[in-house]
Amino acid sequence: MDKETSNGADWETWQASFINETFANLRRLTAVPFLPDKMELVRKGITPREVVYEEDRLKVYRYIGESEPRFKTPLCLAFALVNRPYIMDLKEGRSIIAQYVKAGFDLYLIDWGTPTRAERFLTADDYVNGYMLNVVRYLRERTGSDKVNLLGYCMGGTLSTMFTAIHQDLVKNLVLLATGIDYSTREPLLNLWTDPRYFDVDKFVDTVGNVPAEFLQAAFLLLKPVSNLVEKYVNLAENVHRDEFVDDYLHMETWLNDNIPVPGEVYREWAKYLFQQNLLVKNRMPLGRHIVDLRKITCPLLNLMASNDHLVPCSQTEPLNDLVSSTDKEKIVWPAGHIGLAVSSKAQKELWPRAVEWLVKRTD
Amino acid sequence: MTDNTGKIFDQVAAFQKLWMDSFTEMAGVWSQYSAGSPPVDEMRRMRGGMLKVLAETWDEYMRTPQFLEMMKASLNGALDLKRMAREGMNRVHDQFENPTKQDVDDVLLAIRHVERRVLERLEGLDERVANLNERIDDVDAGMAKHGKAIDRLEQTIKAKAEKPAATPRKATGA
Repeated sequence: MDKETSNGADWETWQASFINETFANLRRLTAVPFLPDKMELVRKGITPREVVYEEDRLKVYRYIGESEPRFKTPLCLAFALVNRPYIMDLKEGRSIIAQYVKAGFDLYLIDWGTPTRAERFLTADDYVNGYMLNVVRYLRERTGSDKVNLLGYCMGGTLSTMFTAIHQDLVKNLVLLATGIDYSTREPLLNLWTDPRYFDVDKFVDTVGNVPAEFLQAAFLLLKPVSNLVEKYVNLAENVHRDEFVDDYLHMETWLNDNIPVPGEVYREWAKYLFQQNLLVKNRMPLGRHIVDLRKITCPLLNLMASNDHLVPCSQTEPLNDLVSSTDKEKIVWPAGHIGLAVSSKAQKELWPRAVEWLVKRTD
Repeated sequence: MTDNTGKIFDQVAAFQKLWMDSFTEMAGVWSQYSAGSPPVDEMRRMRGGMLKVLAETWDEYMRTPQFLEMMKASLNGALDLKRMAREGMNRVHDQFENPTKQDVDDVLLAIRHVERRVLERLEGLDERVANLNERIDDVDAGMAKHGKAIDRLEQTIKAKAEKPAATPRKATGA
């Protein structure tokens, strides 16, 4: 008798489950035709801004808040050379830029622009001691402040670290997000793939010139093939009827597919000096006429890293705090991935108010 | 059996083992299937488990020397092909006396070298100007210091010169 009741309950559960799933699928199907319309609503950045400085392909945007900035010292954001920087201002409620602007910072973002064949011989020195230095000089002149606050994300963080080590007198505070410093770890696949036994970077750059965006895109996809090629689309199919999910998905996908080529010589230096020889932590990284010595960094440092970052794991970021001479230094390990560190709703609600507060306390 | 054949055999065996283990683990996920739970939820759980195993296997596979060697060989092959195609095109362009990609790159590189040399000279000049400015500032500071000293001396002399005139002379009684 008990077995019969149990079977009856099982059957009811099965039946209810199938009926619910059928209706859910109908809801999903009816949402599909609206995807292109939703795609058109995707914007690349939400905070109002104006171009204040241009040099070659580079543009510097100033973000305009509702009120005048509270702080005299400007905050300058530098992003990686491989993607567009609007990930830092992705959408409403997912914007690092909006958080800093709201807190009263006079915020500027460096958009490196898309390199053409004419830029294939640009080196990291051109970016750090050329473009970045010019931007910082311009900001000093514009704001009347002696120093600037620097915030770098990913490769932009490494560039900002190099800049601070060479021009410490110009930097008041340094904030880094998921920044690669110590490349000795073999944990991320990229570090393994660029091993000199398997990757001839000279042959590669000499042949292709600027590293094509498609190549970088394919490499990033391959880092997590199951997640990027299967799970992502399965999740979309299951949640296509949920507006919030689709909006987040489309914003992220737009950004992820918006890769730009990397100047060939920068790529060569990055692969050779960092991925293969790990010169930055050895204080032997050449940058034009300079050698980057991390011990020359003395300003306050906030190092943010993500515990599930498959691109720049904590083991690659963490050593910086021991390599600089700063006495005021802090690190925060956040449970997120490489991008989630910047845009996840939890990070936006809990991590970024802390990071903003850290800078507020140290800025005039 | 030659060493080469043995090596290939080992590679195939390692590849086979990795994926056989993976399929076994994927099949093992199904042993956790609970018929009492709603089937849709269970299917999702099974799918999640299988994809997790698959992701781990891929990650492991992409770290193997076999995969890395294969990646190296395919990338080198693609680069060689691109080079050959470019060299062929260069010959065609040469025949028609058109500039090739290599020519454009050479011009860009030459401009780059000139730019670098000019920048270095400018930086050198910048340093010299900074040094000169510093020395001019020192001279200015010295002159200002001397100027102040002269002013002080002048004031002292004037004060001394004015002092006797200001003091009333005592009557001698003559």
